[in-house]
Amino acid sequence: MLAQQLVNGLFLGAVYALFAVGYTLVFGVLDILNLAHAAIYMIAAFTAYSLVAHGLPIGVAFAGGTILAGTVGILLDRIAFAPLRRRNAGTLVPLISSIGAAIIIGAIARGIYGIDERHFVDGGIDSPPIHIGPVTFTAVEAIIFATAIALMLVLSYVLRATTLGRNIRAVSQDRIAAALLGVNIERTIAATFFIASALGGAAGILTGLEYNSVSIDMAGSIELKGLAVIILGGMGSITGAVIGGFVIGAVETLAVAYGLSEWRDALTFGVMFVILVARPAGIFGARALRNA
Amino acid sequence: MTFFAQFYAQHSRLLDEIGINALLALSLSVSLQAGQLALAQAGFAGIAAYVSAIASMQYRWPLFASILLAVACSTLVAALLAYPVRRLRGIFLAIATVGFGEIVRVIVNNVSITGGAEGLSGIPNNVNTGIIYSGLALVALALFGLSRTKFALAVALTREDEAAARGVGVDTGMVRFASLALGGAIAGLAGALYAHAFYFLTPADFGFPRMEEILVWCVIGGVTSPIGAVAGAAFLSILPEIIRGLADFREITNGVILLAVILFAPSGLSVLWRSRRATVPRDA
Amino acid sequence: MKKTLLCALALTLALGTALPGAAALTKGPAAGKTVKVGVIADVTGSGAVYGTMQRNAYDLANDDVKTGIIDAGGANLSFDVEDAASDPAQVVNLMQKFTTDGATPLVLGPTLSGEAFRAFPIAKAANFPVMGTSTTAEGVTAIGPTIFRDSLAESQAIPPTVARVQQTWHAKTVAIIYGDDNAFTKTDGDLFAREFQKTGASVVDTETFHIGDKDFGPALTKIASKKPDAIAIGGLFPEATQIIAQAGKLGIKAHMLGGNGLNSTQMYQTAGPASLGVVVGAAWFIGGKYTGNLEFVKRFKAKYGTTPDQFAAQAYAAAQVVASLVKAGAVTKDALLAGLRNVHVVQTVLGPIAFDQNRDVRAAPVVLKIVKGGFAYF
Repeated sequence: MLAQQLVNGLFLGAVYALFAVGYTLVFGVLDILNLAHAAIYMIAAFTAYSLVAHGLPIGVAFAGGTILAGTVGILLDRIAFAPLRRRNAGTLVPLISSIGAAIIIGAIARGIYGIDERHFVDGGIDSPPIHIGPVTFTAVEAIIFATAIALMLVLSYVLRATTLGRNIRAVSQDRIAAALLGVNIERTIAATFFIASALGGAAGILTGLEYNSVSIDMAGSIELKGLAVIILGGMGSITGAVIGGFVIGAVETLAVAYGLSEWRDALTFGVMFVILVARPAGIFGARALRNA
Repeated sequence: MTFFAQFYAQHSRLLDEIGINALLALSLSVSLQAGQLALAQAGFAGIAAYVSAIASMQYRWPLFASILLAVACSTLVAALLAYPVRRLRGIFLAIATVGFGEIVRVIVNNVSITGGAEGLSGIPNNVNTGIIYSGLALVALALFGLSRTKFALAVALTREDEAAARGVGVDTGMVRFASLALGGAIAGLAGALYAHAFYFLTPADFGFPRMEEILVWCVIGGVTSPIGAVAGAAFLSILPEIIRGLADFREITNGVILLAVILFAPSGLSVLWRSRRATVPRDA
Repeated sequence: MKKTLLCALALTLALGTALPGAAALTKGPAAGKTVKVGVIADVTGSGAVYGTMQRNAYDLANDDVKTGIIDAGGANLSFDVEDAASDPAQVVNLMQKFTTDGATPLVLGPTLSGEAFRAFPIAKAANFPVMGTSTTAEGVTAIGPTIFRDSLAESQAIPPTVARVQQTWHAKTVAIIYGDDNAFTKTDGDLFAREFQKTGASVVDTETFHIGDKDFGPALTKIASKKPDAIAIGGLFPEATQIIAQAGKLGIKAHMLGGNGLNSTQMYQTAGPASLGVVVGAAWFIGGKYTGNLEFVKRFKAKYGTTPDQFAAQAYAAAQVVASLVKAGAVTKDALLAGLRNVHVVQTVLGPIAFDQNRDVRAAPVVLKIVKGGFAYF
């Protein structure tokens, strides 16, 4: 049974990690905790659903939803954060701004889609269970896992080996120095939001596929968990977010496996609290953006 | 006279809510004025609400004794919480306190003495509007008195620039501790009054959505203004009833108001009575 | 002269009965009077999935009163749905508003049991009649002598359902999975354990989840390792569909059943073939041939594009009960309260409804199983 539970934890953790990576990217670069990240996760899932409902293949819908998420991210920055940056408003104010934005995005989604749960495939996605030794999973689950990992590897490559990645890391370390070195700050920030939101949106679409279910309250359930993940991993650290995602996935899974299911959330937040008190920088330390 | 009697008969519950929400907003405001984004007040209120309810239901304590016990408990918890988070600032303090609130909610949900998920019903309903507003007046008076002391100055200095404050001899550790404990006491009073005014408690009553609400009240009213906190709480408590006619557009209206205030009037409602632009703490 | 009169009379009668619904446009003692029933529902917020169905049912009821499909004896009866946005504070404010505005004679709702515990004491203090249509937790009607309920309580639904399935399944071991943060689902968990044990089965595993959870892999893996004959689900359909779908993904072959909360056609839509054969102890059968039920389902689907669920049916039935009281002449709060206390039987889409001495609905659950695209009798 333990083997199966570990596989469960891996699948769960992969999507948590993908979500958290976008969260932590924005914090690392801008010191902003973007509480609208979960709303973007949700609206990307709805977009992909709409595209599938119009007959497009799932791959195209995935790409479409991800790109839309990225675009919403850029818009979010323009409307809710950029004006505050010009005003030098600190960290509390953008947080509240993101709450307002999250409410608006949620209300728009509700206006368009209503409160009903939507399904990618009526009658369930046809994917029979695959048995490998003591472990069972479906092909769809395996594809979702692989996609999440692939996206995180792509991000790591972008940050490490491209000019854009270098610029992002520079801005996160010292914005003024980066500007002096000729980096276009606003464009870099826009790119950061695009990438972060696109990844968060991808996590939303994958989650929707995993459970064949897209609904407005998707956002609420992942919001706080994402926080625990990035604290554990270290805010601003991509590697940390990934490791954190898998750790939290494991904590949740094992809590259930060992009969502590109703204490699951307390354990997750307990771990988060202890990390904050003992080592606020998280596992991978520091607020500067690290190489993945 | 009959107009007021009629108005009260129709809206007494709303008035009670405003009073309690004002207290909750003040409890957060106390922390915000010290520059701390400590988001644990909903948790403190929840603890006090259950303590007061259980004391009066299980142990048949009289009302004021139950409330006092509840406030003592929440203050104690706040004081204890202050220690592990003493080195945290800004967003990290916020997240740690949110985590604390979630842990409290889960504990309340899982132990039987609180009635668990089904909630606690049948709490003696012996708190009326008069008692709530007396409590609010008491707290307002106390805070007003405090605002005239050197402590208030220390608080303001800590908020503006902690390092500089320390430089001129302010014990910032003590300021942070005291503001958290004071917030715990006020939130505790709000929670205990809530329990007896609304006679039914569930673990979800004091979770993260509630805490977000309280934060929004303070921001709309004016982050560093206690009067603003009360004004924000009152305004946003009445708002759903005023815009009831907007039906399905109420939700988006809330978000738009919040965003509009942040972008265009960051000092919130307090801009209406403040002569100069209040400074919002950079790293609250 | 007489012949012409007789002809005219015959013609009028013929025309009268030929007009659709005209036969139902009777004139009772309350003809021409306006009766505006207050409804509190969570149309937005976390309870919106249920509250929207209720609102839709009441809007349909309003239409049906106008066309005579619901016979209110010629009275101008309408249901005024107010959105409490799943906010307990708004529920309380709305109840206070309705009980003090002097114009509302009765309130239906709210949507959730927790909300009922907050709002019903206000009605009790005002000696005001209220009827819950979805608040099925223990103790709701006990709050006061003016509180009624037309929705089958879990304690009424679960025991007969368990007894019935055990006649066929003879399960020796059962696992129970239920929501631990909601009064309704928690009651289910307790009841399933007790009732299965009464039939001689033993509970080999108990798992809990939270409202909003999507991932049941860990819990189901644990359950699978204990190899139970049956799995009882104490949940509402959003979580129940995931549990069933994921059990299918893990290859679990146990019998599965649940209570009222699973009574939604969403089950098959989300979980697909894995949900076939799942038993539901329901308060209403979408295919049930009760008076006007099949037509109600058709009209609902035509107006809203989706079939009604149990929440909608119970709301609509409440409207029917109120209409029957109004038709008999009750238009004030005291008259409606007396009417509710003395009602014998009202034919509704749930079947015949009457109230017992605790003001709960006097009914038995209907044991259904999920089939492709809907339900059938078990």
